[in-house]
Amino acid sequence: MSAAAILERPKLVVSNEPPPLFRAEGLTKRYEANTVLSEVGFTVPRNKVVTFVGENGAGKSTLFNILSGIVRPDAGRMWLDGEVYAPQGYGQATAKGVTRVFQEQALIQNVPVYENLLLSEEARFTRLGQFVDRKAMIAAAERMVEDAGLDIDVRRRTGDYDFSKRQSIEIVRACLGPVHLAGIERPFILLDEPTSALDRRDEEAFFRLVEKLKTKGSLLFVSHRLTEVLEISDLIYVLKDGQLVAALDAQEADEATLHGLMVGRERAADFYHERRQRRIDREEVVLRLDRLDLPGVYQDVSLEVRAGEVVGIGGLLDSGKSALGKGAAGVEPPASGSVVLAGGAPAEPQIGRFVRAGLGYVPAERLTDGLIAPFSVAWNMTLASGSDLLTSRLGLWRRRHELATADHYVRQLRVRSGTPNLPCTKLSGGNQQKVVLARWLARKPKVLILDNPTRGVDAGAKEEIYTLIRDLADEGVGILLITDELLELIGLSNRILIMQRGRVVTEVAAPADAKPGERELVAWMLAGSGGATDTLPHAPSQQKIPA
Amino acid sequence: MIAQSDIPRLALASRRSILTKLNNGLWLPVAVVLALVVFFSLATDSFATLRNFTAITGQAGTLLIVCLGTTFVVLMGSIDLSVGAIVLLVGAASVIILNATGVGWLVLPVAAALGAVLGLANGLIYAFGRIPSFVVTLGSLSIFSGIALQILEGRAIQFTVPGFEEIAIGQLIPRLPNIALCALIAWAIVVFIAERTRFGRFMYLIGGGENVARTAGVPVRRYKIYAFALSGLLAGVGAILAVARLGAAGPSLGQDLLLNSLAAIVVGGTSLAGGVGGPQAR
Repeated sequence: MSAAAILERPKLVVSNEPPPLFRAEGLTKRYEANTVLSEVGFTVPRNKVVTFVGENGAGKSTLFNILSGIVRPDAGRMWLDGEVYAPQGYGQATAKGVTRVFQEQALIQNVPVYENLLLSEEARFTRLGQFVDRKAMIAAAERMVEDAGLDIDVRRRTGDYDFSKRQSIEIVRACLGPVHLAGIERPFILLDEPTSALDRRDEEAFFRLVEKLKTKGSLLFVSHRLTEVLEISDLIYVLKDGQLVAALDAQEADEATLHGLMVGRERAADFYHERRQRRIDREEVVLRLDRLDLPGVYQDVSLEVRAGEVVGIGGLLDSGKSALGKGAAGVEPPASGSVVLAGGAPAEPQIGRFVRAGLGYVPAERLTDGLIAPFSVAWNMTLASGSDLLTSRLGLWRRRHELATADHYVRQLRVRSGTPNLPCTKLSGGNQQKVVLARWLARKPKVLILDNPTRGVDAGAKEEIYTLIRDLADEGVGILLITDELLELIGLSNRILIMQRGRVVTEVAAPADAKPGERELVAWMLAGSGGATDTLPHAPSQQKIPA
Repeated sequence: MIAQSDIPRLALASRRSILTKLNNGLWLPVAVVLALVVFFSLATDSFATLRNFTAITGQAGTLLIVCLGTTFVVLMGSIDLSVGAIVLLVGAASVIILNATGVGWLVLPVAAALGAVLGLANGLIYAFGRIPSFVVTLGSLSIFSGIALQILEGRAIQFTVPGFEEIAIGQLIPRLPNIALCALIAWAIVVFIAERTRFGRFMYLIGGGENVARTAGVPVRRYKIYAFALSGLLAGVGAILAVARLGAAGPSLGQDLLLNSLAAIVVGGTSLAGGVGGPQAR
């Protein structure tokens, strides 16, 4: 189904049901000359899950900001439950039953969970108007957590829970707060990428909560994970460049169509460029791990990566694969074992030395390990070259060379920054990741260790990164790809190693014409470790785990 | 997400003149200083005199020199509480050396080296012991001042080399004491180091994102040690100039530097969180 065909359909998909919970007409928002939202009109029927998809920069965040009262539209009108809705701030939106889960966690780490759940609602729990009734608060918080089906002790310190649980806490606060505390009958809940940080068990609890909330109000999602979008939503809207380009019934949509609508072109059947995968035979071994060992994390791991080869490592979140990547790169060196890099002598991994010898390492956590976001694109691109390429023998910084390098890679990788002097905080996730990759490209590496290189990256940039990986392989770079994305793992790798509890349990060949199935890999990840399903990485969720 | 409209504005920002800078909030401190100058010029006869300005530049010289080094430590997200104590210890030791050998101005490199060694000790304990720099330098503050008081036996010791004070209070450029001249030269060198050298860039990177820098192979630990050594070195230079200016090293030498140096660094625009500012705030 083409985009044009969809557009010709009336925008109000639902017509003969009770008045919709939410309706918007002609929402427009400009920032100076730049129109971020243009004449967006849509309907959210009662008791439905509605999802907005779109690339970074399509206007999803602005739309959410308008709905939650944080930003006022330049034009357009909104109705909530049949009444005109024009919130003058987030507080007013919440009072009317429109709440939001933010992408970035907004919890106070050092206080008990119940205080976070009831934050700004304390006035409901006072005696004599002054004294906070802790018992009542704890009881109320416990009811919320129970209702959400979560296993959380509300009296514990929030920071004691892991990221996934904290995300759940945040979701519960936004979703159940209006129902439990404010007595809102039909809540309208906005969720911005709610599941990206959830592990399997919390994700299931979240989906059950969604089903429960649907009986009361409606939910509006923004998500990158198309498989999940299709599964969870009733209705899908596609935003592109600030315009609503399609409204689809989730029943009749599929992933490829959505992708095509978002990016503006059909997703290549060959998304991972399998046809460009190189046949590896007797190429030089550029990376050899020899019995790397870090007690309690990974044990006795040996592997080889040849020039032009992509070796994938898969496994559950606790399999130790990320730690292995850090160990091999020498960021957090192993307790024992050695690494041979591009014909060198076996050595204890040490990142500084390895970088100069031709290794590049892209960490999974972009904002804490990968990028100094307040610094400029240029500074981040040259971050790894300060010890050699960018300084003269006297230690003087080659500023002109730095700008030229940054300029070159901004253009080559199409980093949408316009100027190398822009701080990286102004870039989308995909563009930030390109900056991190450029840091290594500038060094002409022989080996790259990539840990989840497309995490938090939109579909368009993902495709560009996959192309880049193939280009690098063509140039003879050996790539060790550690990823939680099963399809990426299968699509990109020549060979796949599966790790389980710190050990490589099997190696699966993945030639371009005979890729292994997801089920096979998941079975290996889980084999003999019953009950570990809660830590399954982001496999497409229709995937049933073999018993 | 990047708003397209930001691009022209940022391009403009890089060409900002002093005027626009003043527009951006910098005018208030400048205005306050001007107001103070005007007020004291009217309130007393002795303020707005060339003699007084010469005196002020002389007094501020040591502070500037010491701050220039410590700025790097703060820039990379650490703190050096011991600079005042380094000044005291180096001052005390130099007076003894000066009186024993009569080397004259040649004591300056010795003092600088001694300061660098003391700073290096701070840096080594901090980097290898993985102890917070606040704790390390608080400890070394006590140790350095303790040793210094031992050397001085609790009293001020005058140097006996005639004419030595010239390196601080002499005026190669009329009306500008040499100590202030030294401070200005040190400032120029340090600004150059910050802006144009590997050391300077690494200070920003470590302060802005130590983890990121380490993950990308920047030798973080080594440069942390260098920063403390440089801080100590400049404190040593500041010490010998202070001694020359005062004519003696006493137990109170460098006492006011602890608070004043941090105040000057932070007011000067370097964030205690690191990564922002530098010897010449941009």
